[in-house]
Amino acid sequence: MSFSTFVTDTAGLQKMFEAIISKHETYAPVEKFGKFDYKKVSSLKECNPDSPIDATMSVKPLFFPRASKIIKYEASSAGTSIHETDEDPIAGKRVILGVKHCDARGLQVLEAVNKWDYIDSDFLKRRANTVIFSTRCDKADTQCFCTSLDYDVENLDAMDVAIINGPDGRIYLCARTEKGENFLTQNPAPGSRNPEPIAQEEMKKQYETFAASFRLKMDYKDVNEKMSKRFDSPAFEEASRNCVSCNTCAFICPTCHCFKISDEKIRDTGLRYKSYDSCNNAYFTLEAGGHNPRPAKYRRWRQRSMHKFVYYKERFGVNLCVGCGHCAISCPVNISIFEVVNHVANAPVES
Amino acid sequence: MEALLVPSLAKVERIIQETPDVRTYRLKFKDDSLMEKFSWHPGQFVEFSLLGSGECTFCISSSVTRKGYFDCSIKKAGIVTADIHTDLEEGDDVGIRGPYGNWFPTDDIKGKNLLFVGGGIGLAPLRSLIQYAIDNRSDYKDFTILYGARTSADLCYKEEIEEWKKNTGIRVVLTIDKPEDTWKENVGVVPKILEEVVKPEIANTKVITCGPPIMIKYTLQSLDRLGFSPEHVITTLEMKMQCGLGKCGRCNIGSTYICKDGPVFTYAQLKALPDEF
Repeated sequence: MSFSTFVTDTAGLQKMFEAIISKHETYAPVEKFGKFDYKKVSSLKECNPDSPIDATMSVKPLFFPRASKIIKYEASSAGTSIHETDEDPIAGKRVILGVKHCDARGLQVLEAVNKWDYIDSDFLKRRANTVIFSTRCDKADTQCFCTSLDYDVENLDAMDVAIINGPDGRIYLCARTEKGENFLTQNPAPGSRNPEPIAQEEMKKQYETFAASFRLKMDYKDVNEKMSKRFDSPAFEEASRNCVSCNTCAFICPTCHCFKISDEKIRDTGLRYKSYDSCNNAYFTLEAGGHNPRPAKYRRWRQRSMHKFVYYKERFGVNLCVGCGHCAISCPVNISIFEVVNHVANAPVES
Repeated sequence: MEALLVPSLAKVERIIQETPDVRTYRLKFKDDSLMEKFSWHPGQFVEFSLLGSGECTFCISSSVTRKGYFDCSIKKAGIVTADIHTDLEEGDDVGIRGPYGNWFPTDDIKGKNLLFVGGGIGLAPLRSLIQYAIDNRSDYKDFTILYGARTSADLCYKEEIEEWKKNTGIRVVLTIDKPEDTWKENVGVVPKILEEVVKPEIANTKVITCGPPIMIKYTLQSLDRLGFSPEHVITTLEMKMQCGLGKCGRCNIGSTYICKDGPVFTYAQLKALPDEF
């Protein structure tokens, strides 16, 4: 099905954002102490959804919360009782503004693991209830490499509405899903609907300028293939030696989804919750008997990078990395997944 | 809301002290209709929680053919299992999710001789299949059960093993690592007894094995030497797991989810996985 495009200008876009915020539960990147994180907003003054934000936090926690309650339980002389917690602060219909393309793609990638076999209906419901507006990315940050990966950055359908800078200086609002189409129809943007088609040649040139701004480029198919043949390469050790295993990379990654289940007990009542974990944690695979299949740091890095560039792709058909660069920007010892996988891919094959 | 991760309450009906550090917990869902509906295959596991301490993965060590309860045999090894041994008493409640995972191929092994090779607590998942096969005796040919432990005190299910011996067509071979004064059966590690005492028939035989990693390693080598093809050797992996649902990422080996694609694998399948278990 083909979707509508609206055309507007900066003032029109601001007006539309204001209207959305006043009518809908809206989330957008909000700055706090120099860090941007997605928060519920009540006015456009609180946020800036119209420019690419510094890559500090991903939108993932609005779909896969950093911590979510599983049960509350109570023990008494009458026995134990379990209470399911039905509170889900992010279950309702909502709009998220200012989502970067890579971040939106992250949610699309995560859908695969959440809907195979046992279905995580919480995740899927949150996505189904959300209208995502992308931000206007017009040039690459230092660690970005989204244009190198296995998805069409230009025509990404991971967001519901894409906001694109036209070559003519105007701003195009392109519905990319049925949900986006319906939303734009019910919440009309100022400006004209179905304008003259954007000049394809001009758009192409514009995309080429965008793509040329990327410092990092990789041939992901080549990397996928080469890595799958380098499981035993010492290059994993070389590339990960500086890692301090803080797991920051995993916690802010738009696609990392490992979690743990923890119990917190205070006297006779307790809480069980699900929260983020990472395969980079030394205890991640440690068995109670003391055996650990990944006792060394390089083995955990091998798991992390192979999962992103080989295993997830084998299983679900897509890379588990969207090239957002969040991890490299936030890493305290300056490790970049881009450099790790390239280093391994270009290392000699162990016989 | 994390609907997939919410456990149901079960009551500890009975605790059987198997060895100094292994206890079998006989469980029954508090909700009778849930117990009635609860069905599993030999080799499947549950997420078992001592509320306030944590959730752990244990295989169900009894067979669905024994109605009205299910067993988990738990070795005191880590933090939660130590709490279970210390705090959990008969009549107490635990949380259960499951059953999860694949199972021993009960249909594929019909009409075959079954050779069970177990070590220590590794007999727990095999026991589920042994009980199942005893209760469907006519479906299977002869059984051989080779079971070893470090000492005679470390052998699980001692009374039940005596019952197994009384069945026709079931050969039970027991072994311990070092001689003991009153021990009249075999002495020596499992792979050695397998080759020197059991000397199994290879034709029409399926091997089902589980035990500590070191025993598995040498048992697989022995089975190779004896001439068993890797397709006919079946084992169950005990990776660290948490969700049991193919989501949390903990038990991944390569692109395989041990909790969903396993925990039961043939030796041939294991050989194709990256060496990470």
